[in-house]
Amino acid sequence: MMATIGSGLVAEGISLGFGGLQVLSDVSLTLKPGVITGLIGPNGAGKTSLFNCLTGLYHGQRGHSSFAGTPLDGMGPAQRAACGITRSFQNLAMCPELSLLENVLVGLTLKRRSGWFSAFVPTPAQQAEREDTERRAMAALSELGIASAAHHKPSDLPPGTLRLAEIARAIASEPRAILLDEPAAGLNAVETRDLMRALKRLMRPDLVLLVVEHDMDLIMELCEHIYVLNFGRMIANGTPAEIRAHPDVIRVYLGDDADD
Amino acid sequence: MAVSELAHGTKAGVSARNGNVDAARLSIFALVAALALLPLLAGGFLLYSLSLCFANALAVLSVSMLVRYGGEVSIGHSFFVALGAYAVAIVEHRLGLSIAVSLPLAVLLGAIAGFVFAFPSRRLSGIYLAVATMALALALPEILIGFEKFTGGFEGLYIAQDLIPGISKALQRYYVALVLLVVVCLALSHFRKSAQGLALLMAQAQPRAAEAMGITRSWARVSIFTLSAALASLAGAMTGFASSTVSPNSFTFFSGVFLLVGSVVSLNRLSLPAALVGGAFITLVPTYLAKAGDWVPILYGVALIVVTLAANAGDLRRFLPRRRGR
Ligand SMILES: Nc1ncnc2c1ncn2[C@@H]1O[C@H](COP(=O)(O)OP(=O)(O)OP(=O)(O)O)[C@@H](O)[C@H]1O
Ligand SMILES: [Mg+2]
Repeated sequence: MMATIGSGLVAEGISLGFGGLQVLSDVSLTLKPGVITGLIGPNGAGKTSLFNCLTGLYHGQRGHSSFAGTPLDGMGPAQRAACGITRSFQNLAMCPELSLLENVLVGLTLKRRSGWFSAFVPTPAQQAEREDTERRAMAALSELGIASAAHHKPSDLPPGTLRLAEIARAIASEPRAILLDEPAAGLNAVETRDLMRALKRLMRPDLVLLVVEHDMDLIMELCEHIYVLNFGRMIANGTPAEIRAHPDVIRVYLGDDADD
Repeated sequence: MAVSELAHGTKAGVSARNGNVDAARLSIFALVAALALLPLLAGGFLLYSLSLCFANALAVLSVSMLVRYGGEVSIGHSFFVALGAYAVAIVEHRLGLSIAVSLPLAVLLGAIAGFVFAFPSRRLSGIYLAVATMALALALPEILIGFEKFTGGFEGLYIAQDLIPGISKALQRYYVALVLLVVVCLALSHFRKSAQGLALLMAQAQPRAAEAMGITRSWARVSIFTLSAALASLAGAMTGFASSTVSPNSFTFFSGVFLLVGSVVSLNRLSLPAALVGGAFITLVPTYLAKAGDWVPILYGVALIVVTLAANAGDLRRFLPRRRGR
């Protein structure tokens, strides 16, 4: 079950606890490039915590992770971002003071070449860079169908649009790995369909894409490989058909139906 | 679909906003034109007070910049202001050079001092950082008096050199300070749109998300503090030039507190009108307050407590029983 280190984003034996609370216990997963991987599990299963471990916001007490053969252990979130790993946030991480376009532009920070001088004094080079990054950010917004909202403030926009913007920001920098935390939460049926199409269009052979979702239909249709997390343990992984038939998964989801 | 709903609102909304922006630009332009023509009508004391007001406005901007882009409060920015002012005075006394040389030097020194202070304290924030900056403000008078040989001790130093020979002192002070203030405001409005400006705003609003985009907290803290200190030092150089004198009296512990109050009075805005309001406040109120005699330190103290506590309301929640996680 353990894949060879060197391909894609790999986590092995991650354990994470807060005080007495064990959030993740010996969790392993392999995210292969070119495959859309899903991660499901009931509320509080530890999905976001696993995201945080993969992106360096949390550091597990045990376990290792690597990306394309490079060990990630000990790297902070900014360093991992520099490796080409981006993510979206379940609880919409928008800066209220910035327009939607500017919020997406921030996702391109690591591409910045212009120095401090041109931050205060307009220079041709900085102007050109600005146009280029704006074009990329607009392209990402268009890809998700929300270009018309570019110049609005987040507070003027519905949560569905902000959710999509969150994803636009993650894809704008042309990353090598994208981790999306509940990208379809708060979207209506049409928006969800559009999102799914956009994600499929996005897929390239060298891209790692992980999607956390509560929407089973979406996950089953979108993903080729699915991991199931429950109480911090990985209880199953396999193709959608395998997951649908897995007895532990059925038990968890039937027993937990009242939720969400 | 939410997006098509938006598309309707978009054009009207954006063009209305453009209209507001144009109106705002026009009124600022009118303000600058009026200030530029003022010396034709007014003279002497008013011009002198206004040049001081412009210099103080720059100092207020340096504090507001730290608040807006760093989310931090500094009580000790008078330290960096003094650095700039004394740089101008000492360069003139020792090397006989005018602000043409000492002004850029002051900015550089301010940036270096800001960096040297910010780097070790980059993990401090909120009330802890405010207290650390307080140490700067407290040390300042001792330093100024201690290094008497350079600083002129209690008496301070005079600044006599002109920037542009052949133009009256009053007009020089006025126009140099005005031009610098306008240029700084323009630079700050460009900064708001720059990649670094956006990154700093994001780091402040969503520190963890910003980290995941490659914007580290220590980068944000060190950069904004360095920039803000450089601007404070520039403001100090202008204060020295505009008042033709530097002395420890102008840089007591309370002048740092006062800068902070001035920034609050201008609502921490970085626009020219806001800066002028803050600058006018700092220039005028102390002279009126001077009549309050013994009450002055108490008033300052109360202002300090109120401003710092208000600015750190978020941090204070930390002391409530329920502790947040990492
Ligand atoms: N910083 C933290 N400090 C303490 N406990 C935490 C922290 N972060 C997460 N937890 C706990 O870890 C458990 C898993 O949380 P997590 O957010 O990872 O779940 P999730 O699977 O993303 O749930 P949801 O579907 O609701 O988003 C929860 O019990 C949560 O309270
Ligand atoms: Mg979650």
